[in-house]
Amino acid sequence: MSLFLASVGFGLVTAAVLAIAAVGFTMQFAVTDVLNLAYGAVMIGSAFVAYWLNQAGVNVWIGMLAAAAAGAAGSVLLNQGIYAPFQRRGSTGITMVIVSLGMTLIIEFGLQAIVGGTNVSYTMAQGPTVRAGGLILTTVQLVIIGLSVVVMVAVHGLLRHTKLGKAMRATAANRSLARNCGIRTNRIVTLTWILTGALCGIAGTVFAMNNGSFGATSADLFLVVILAAVFLGGPGQAYGAMAGAVIIGLATEVSAAYITPSYKDVVAFLVLLITMAVRPGGVLGATA
Amino acid sequence: MTSAQLYYVIILLVYGGVDVIACLGLSQQFGVAGVTNFGFIIFQAAGAYTASVLSLPSQSANGRFQSYIGGWNLPWPVPWIGAAIVGGLIALPFTFLVGRRLRGDFAAVGLLITAVMANLLVTNYRPLLNGDAGLSLVPAPLQGEYDPTSQRYQWVYAAGAIMLAAGAFLLVRRLTESPYGRSLRAMRDNDLVADSLGKNLVSMRAAVLVLGGALAGLSGAILVGFINTWAPAAWGYAETIVLFAAVIIGGAGNHRGAVLGAILVPVAFEEITRFISGPPGVVDDLQWVAIGLLIVIFLWFRPQGVLPERRRATRAGGPPTGHIDIPNGDVVTLASAGPEPGRAAEERHATSAARAGGPLAARSVSHPAPPDENPVLRTVEVTREFGGVRAVAGVSIEVRRGTLTGLIGPNGAGKSTLLGLLAGTIPVTSGQVIYQGSDVTGVPAYRRARLGLVRTFQLASEFKRLTVMENLLSAVPANRGDSLAGALRGRRYWRGDEDAAIGRAGELLDRFGLSGYADTYAGDLSGGQRRLTEIMRALMAEPAVLLLDEPMAGVHPRLARQIGAQLLGLCAEGMTILMVEHELAIMDEFCDPVIVMAEGAVLATGTMAALRSRIEVVEAYLVG
Repeated sequence: MSLFLASVGFGLVTAAVLAIAAVGFTMQFAVTDVLNLAYGAVMIGSAFVAYWLNQAGVNVWIGMLAAAAAGAAGSVLLNQGIYAPFQRRGSTGITMVIVSLGMTLIIEFGLQAIVGGTNVSYTMAQGPTVRAGGLILTTVQLVIIGLSVVVMVAVHGLLRHTKLGKAMRATAANRSLARNCGIRTNRIVTLTWILTGALCGIAGTVFAMNNGSFGATSADLFLVVILAAVFLGGPGQAYGAMAGAVIIGLATEVSAAYITPSYKDVVAFLVLLITMAVRPGGVLGATA
Repeated sequence: MTSAQLYYVIILLVYGGVDVIACLGLSQQFGVAGVTNFGFIIFQAAGAYTASVLSLPSQSANGRFQSYIGGWNLPWPVPWIGAAIVGGLIALPFTFLVGRRLRGDFAAVGLLITAVMANLLVTNYRPLLNGDAGLSLVPAPLQGEYDPTSQRYQWVYAAGAIMLAAGAFLLVRRLTESPYGRSLRAMRDNDLVADSLGKNLVSMRAAVLVLGGALAGLSGAILVGFINTWAPAAWGYAETIVLFAAVIIGGAGNHRGAVLGAILVPVAFEEITRFISGPPGVVDDLQWVAIGLLIVIFLWFRPQGVLPERRRATRAGGPPTGHIDIPNGDVVTLASAGPEPGRAAEERHATSAARAGGPLAARSVSHPAPPDENPVLRTVEVTREFGGVRAVAGVSIEVRRGTLTGLIGPNGAGKSTLLGLLAGTIPVTSGQVIYQGSDVTGVPAYRRARLGLVRTFQLASEFKRLTVMENLLSAVPANRGDSLAGALRGRRYWRGDEDAAIGRAGELLDRFGLSGYADTYAGDLSGGQRRLTEIMRALMAEPAVLLLDEPMAGVHPRLARQIGAQLLGLCAEGMTILMVEHELAIMDEFCDPVIVMAEGAVLATGTMAALRSRIEVVEAYLVG
């Protein structure tokens, strides 16, 4: 019982981190039409920005804001410098994926050449442990969960109740039609890169906090988990990604408690493959 | 040269052979068939592990310092053959990912993740293949008989690797240059259209996965036999990207390019870093950065690679074979050149003759094909819903043999969807499709095409990187070379079929005035020429029932009427055509009967004269 509850606690934290990352990824894909596999690399790059500030004595939560800015700036640069020119030329989806893989290598190993191959950790207080209904969580973990809930509510508000969100949904549904309706799609796409890039930066920082230690290539496996959540919810579906993140987060951590932790990501992988084979459009409905 | 230098040369030769074999397998998948296998390295790993456990003694005999399954201590060449077989077999399950339903880029991501996960599993589960530490002391081939450390042995080994690479080259070239290879390239350019022309996508993709897997497995066996050790670190997911970089830089779709790329990228590139000094980790990191840069830079500046895919010219216009279906009575020139003297009159004559059952239809007297009362194609209450919207709602139609039936209606009436339901490119939600008396509702599109039920598409659907001639040839049913086995038997086996098909295609090109474009890439044609190519390609499939989706859209009105006359001629010979068209004038002139659709349902069926006023009301009401 306590083992189960403890694993549920871990699962909730993982789901919280995953939800921020997956919602960013899926919105990015929906609006920009780039299946950006370099997302994990940008996450880790942003996490290192927070680390450098943290090393200079800045509080890591303030560092996280800098990481969000770095993720936004990096994503916009990535799009303006690389993806957008390829898209303007009419490159196919496959070409874009190959390009994003190339960018993954460039960013991750470029970063590793600078920071070296050893893992680092943030200097931060974990805060007192909180027990609630059998769950045992540190303050940091609670803050991460709270932050994730705030981000999800904000995304919901953005998509449903703002003009920008409406324009983003329109652009995702049909870019040329949206442009013909007077939506400045180029600006919407750039804004999406900024927003999802910021989510990516926040996700990278909380991922690094939750992981304890991290290195330049730490996000490779986490990208698999992100993709599992995204595909489970249906690629491009923000709410689907949220639900997918909760399911995958709980499934990986609970299974880690009963089988070996080394294999916990395999659960995500199996979910992903089965989803792809059986319901390519995602399991959790097709409504945005 | 010192012996150390000589040994270095041998290493390069063996690595070169290994990488060439792997890149050829990948080139066949990615460059020729358009299957983006980001998990390619799994198959090389599978081959290396298989060769290892087949050649290693059992783990107890090996002092139990490493644990692994198998350990059969089998003599060479059994481990190598086993490696190729296992490499091919484990590719089979992946067919479900790349088969039919999943977008190509999603399938690629699925395969990439599979590679990451397979590596994770093997790393963590030690009893299987000794986990993270990997296998070592893997026996070299025939090491009982010969001394693997002797220079003579190593030279022979290098020569063997190169000969196997040459063999792999001949194998993939034989496949690619066959009619089967052409079908693979057609699938790469547009899989939906290839499906509608009778190509079995699942079987073709399975074939290239298995072939590439077998080649990768063999390459792994050769590598492990030389370096005698194999561990998860040797096959990280990023190694696949190196091979992709090689194929892209060399030239996807050109096997010589794959060979060049294999020598340039994995071999030359990784060797160069041996001679660069710097902090140990940093040089490796920068090497990966450079691989990434090479991919992005090449895709931008030279996406076709150093050695682009070459254009395959055929000897167009071969000898007449008598297979041609279109009578040569009154020549209708369809060349889109400017007006010629007497041309307009000739056209008028041709069109009116066709309408009156003139020369084009004259032949039907000798072999009669009267519009028979039994429908060759009919539907029973077919319905298709798209997310709650009923695009086609309970439609029952009949198409009688030998007619040129028109299908008309405003935008969104469900015409194209109905065509898709008939051809099988869109599955029905409910209802039945009856073709030549049998229920084909559950028959997939490619098999309906083989039964003679062939469709064209509303949007341009030519195979862009195939020439016009190749586009036509790609549709030929029952070419002996259009199967894996047939292609492997070589040119002599299928040359007869191919020559006959080239003859037929040549005559069609003459008829439609495109002879001069036989060796032009279809992607370089004008809009009207593409429509013609598509119609000719559909005719090459020898349809009994031809489903045309706006064949005259975007075509000059004069050319459109010439096409109409040709179609009437075909019907007079017994072909049945169902044609979606927007132009009432075209319907007036050529189609009888005409089916009117609006909002997913059939409004009326009958002659154009009887329906004209009704159609105009409908159009005005729904569109106006």
